[in-house]
Amino acid sequence: MHFGGRSMDTPVKRPAAERRRPTIGDGVLALLVILCAAALFFGLRPASGNLLTARIVLDGVLVAEYDLNALTSPVELAVDGGAYPMVIQAEPGRIRVLESGCPSQDCVHTGWADRAGDQIICLPNRLVISLSGAEAQTDFDAVTG
Amino acid sequence: MSGSIRRLTRCAVLTALALALSVAEGLVPLTILFPLPGLRLGLANLVTVYALCRLSGREALLILVSRCLLGALLGGNLMSLAFSLTGGLLALGTMFLLLHMRGLSLFGVSVAGAAAHNTGQILAAMAVLGTRAPLVYLPPLLLCSLITGTVTGGACILLVHRVPQPLERKS
Repeated sequence: MHFGGRSMDTPVKRPAAERRRPTIGDGVLALLVILCAAALFFGLRPASGNLLTARIVLDGVLVAEYDLNALTSPVELAVDGGAYPMVIQAEPGRIRVLESGCPSQDCVHTGWADRAGDQIICLPNRLVISLSGAEAQTDFDAVTG
Repeated sequence: MSGSIRRLTRCAVLTALALALSVAEGLVPLTILFPLPGLRLGLANLVTVYALCRLSGREALLILVSRCLLGALLGGNLMSLAFSLTGGLLALGTMFLLLHMRGLSLFGVSVAGAAAHNTGQILAAMAVLGTRAPLVYLPPLLLCSLITGTVTGGACILLVHRVPQPLERKS
């Protein structure tokens, strides 16, 4: 059984592998990563407003939609359509995954989402809770939700 | 003949080490300290960097793929396999290219690897969920990769310099 030719046998010297201290190149690279992060962050920054809507989407299907600022008392929603049962809790102005049967519990550890643009994602369940905001009209003729 | 057995053994030992490291890392999840899905220290990346520096790209790839497959068998599912493979392959490719560049040390290579790994995972999550919602997690993950990459980079430098170069004896 052969893994490769002769060139694969001899370990190749890599310039980066021989250094023991960080270089200027490292700094430039770190700066690039920071710039990418900043660009993404500002590119994805949501429009803020006094309407805060939470959409709960399970496997691509909208399960529920709450207008969080219009809530007056806490609401609990049991979502059993996914791979693992979970309970979502919405309060005036914020929402979280209260409990989930999923193994990683990332969605529970994320805690409360309370700003437009926040997301809570439960990958094992393919569930996304996304918060969006909009500037509501000044005259409240009707309240949707 | 003995050369290829030596290589096979070396790959097997490094695969086992990478697997053990990623399981050990899972026992103390960073996400409890800092709730950010996908945040890991990336200890198994040490093995990838070592293999890239001291063995070959081919062996590093072999070790990575075996580690991901075995890891999915041990305690994961198909989805976690997709995540570790996309992240791992993107990190491997990035680090392979950067190792050939002058002017970088293993710190930079490791940071780029961590950033590439996070990007790969987010891309996989976007593909699985079918929305771009997970992209929101990428900026904080990228910033975290600066720290995790520096930590693992420092460890890599120790590893690459302290662990003796594998001997290629012909017989």
